[in-house]
Amino acid sequence: MTGLLRRHPALLPGVLFAAFLLLAPLFAQRGMLNDLWNMAFFVVLATAWNLLGGFAGQVSLGYSAFVGIGAYTTVLLANAGWSPWLTLPIGAALAAAFSVVVGLPTFRLRGPYFTIATIGVGEAVRVIASGLEFTGGSSGLRMPAGTFDFNANYYAMVVLALLTLALVAWLQRHAFGLGLDAIRQDIDAAEALGVPSTRAKLQAHAISSALVAIAGGLFAVNFQFISPGSVFDFRLSLTIVLMPIVGGMGTMTGPVVGALLFSYLQIKLLASPVLRDSYLFIYGGLLIVVMLFEPKGIVGLWERLIALRPRRQAPPPVGEVRRAS
Amino acid sequence: MEKFVVVALNSLLTAGLYATMSYGLAVIYGVMRIINLAHAGLMMLAAYATWALNDRFGLDPFLSIVIVAPAFFLLGMGLYATVIRWLPRSSAGPSMQSLLLLFGVWLVLQNLAYAIWGGDTQSILTPYTMESIPIFGGRFGVPQILVFVVSILSLVGLNLVLRRTYLGKAIRAVTQNRDAAMLSGVNAGQIAAVAFGIGTAFAAMGGSMLSALYAFTPDFGRSFLLKAFCIIVLGGMESFTGVAVGALVLAFIENFASAYTAIPVSYQDAISFTLLVVVLVAAPGGLPGLWRLLDRRVVAR
Repeated sequence: MTGLLRRHPALLPGVLFAAFLLLAPLFAQRGMLNDLWNMAFFVVLATAWNLLGGFAGQVSLGYSAFVGIGAYTTVLLANAGWSPWLTLPIGAALAAAFSVVVGLPTFRLRGPYFTIATIGVGEAVRVIASGLEFTGGSSGLRMPAGTFDFNANYYAMVVLALLTLALVAWLQRHAFGLGLDAIRQDIDAAEALGVPSTRAKLQAHAISSALVAIAGGLFAVNFQFISPGSVFDFRLSLTIVLMPIVGGMGTMTGPVVGALLFSYLQIKLLASPVLRDSYLFIYGGLLIVVMLFEPKGIVGLWERLIALRPRRQAPPPVGEVRRAS
Repeated sequence: MEKFVVVALNSLLTAGLYATMSYGLAVIYGVMRIINLAHAGLMMLAAYATWALNDRFGLDPFLSIVIVAPAFFLLGMGLYATVIRWLPRSSAGPSMQSLLLLFGVWLVLQNLAYAIWGGDTQSILTPYTMESIPIFGGRFGVPQILVFVVSILSLVGLNLVLRRTYLGKAIRAVTQNRDAAMLSGVNAGQIAAVAFGIGTAFAAMGGSMLSALYAFTPDFGRSFLLKAFCIIVLGGMESFTGVAVGALVLAFIENFASAYTAIPVSYQDAISFTLLVVVLVAAPGGLPGLWRLLDRRVVAR
């Protein structure tokens, strides 16, 4: 048991936190549960994005497209009489298929060019979705009545967040995650060592977009109303990108820290009328600071602080040895 | 035929504006190998500055360029000295770090504008906003024509600076080969600061003119940023002529697509966004790259 804990230092706090989230409906108020739902939603988005953006270094600014695909699949099928739960895998599959369609051409581009192309794709999707008839245009669509059950939705989102974390952590520790890491460090060297870089990127894109789409479906169920302006919004795309970058790209804890910080700030700042529209100001400032001083974000800053503290013996953290670059 | 001429003239008018707003992006990319995502935020800020000058002092949006552009030149130099200068220099193309840093600058500018002016849509109304002049059977708005004239003047002025002055020659030298330019005694750091100032001033000019044509919010500028990027990729990323050609090509494609095909006007932006992805993927060298490719084939034959 102690050996297991030493090898996986995040296991114990993780299990405790998971237990807290799952037991929260027994004692917490509705308002707090709402906040927790919000946090879990952002944890899913940030962690899933981090698989492609952090581990493989392919920074995509077009992820709202996948939230939108998941949300619209759920609303449209639910209005056709489906159970909302059954629509989630369909949305995930559609998003994964779309991610391949987008990825095949754009993964030929490298670094910033890929990022710019994803802004183009995301904006094109938003413009087209706003013009289409079946998305409800700019006025949006409503879920059918009687599909809202807060507790079920709460559990679904928390379980999704935990599964996402477990899946990404598992992937990171296996050959697939190592391949993505190699792609981030040097794509040509990775290719030379036998990493099928395009296939690996497409797979990472498909997995993360499917997870994001499921979160999008639950978003639609929770808010009961969606429009292209809410789910295909560029601000959503950039929120998804900012959380893992400010928290710490390419780490497991970074996106979670970023998501918790973001949802906390959002909840606090949305309450103040002055800052309601400009809450991203703080995140923009953080992004500048992070890019200038500590590209690994809050997690990197924390590791530096730890390293500053004198210690008798400081064994290198196990998970980090191989990612020294 | 008449329709063709009118659509072509409309495209030409649009192209002037597009070239002005794209040139700032191109000069910064050329000298520093940075994709300036803050360009959109700077255009938006210039639009608000123009609006504020018009609102307070009744200044004409086109006259206010005389104040706004130099002010933004200084702002750009300041931005360079405080933020951009500290970026590690990358020799092989733009780095992710610089892109994200400027993205942060954009976010700060955008949300500053939200905090100061709120999210309401603003627009500038001048006595001639609704006026138009008949040319070749079509009617052309006076603001559009003024924008075209100012754009051409600014581009001619810039071209003179680039060809005739030491500063212009130094900018072109650093763009072509930074190391060789430094070996010849060009202070590349200083040139970079000035180039960032010029790029910002051109973003401001674009923003001022856009504010005379369109309504805007703090979220304004994103679609124009993407269009500008599409234009400089089409133009081969660094050359002055390339930007002009790219602007013409994009303006013609957009205008003719909405005039002659069934694509609705609301999808006009989607055309340029799709074109951006297609050009990046299929012809990363832009039109000059394609031209060289064709040229080589002909010679080989």
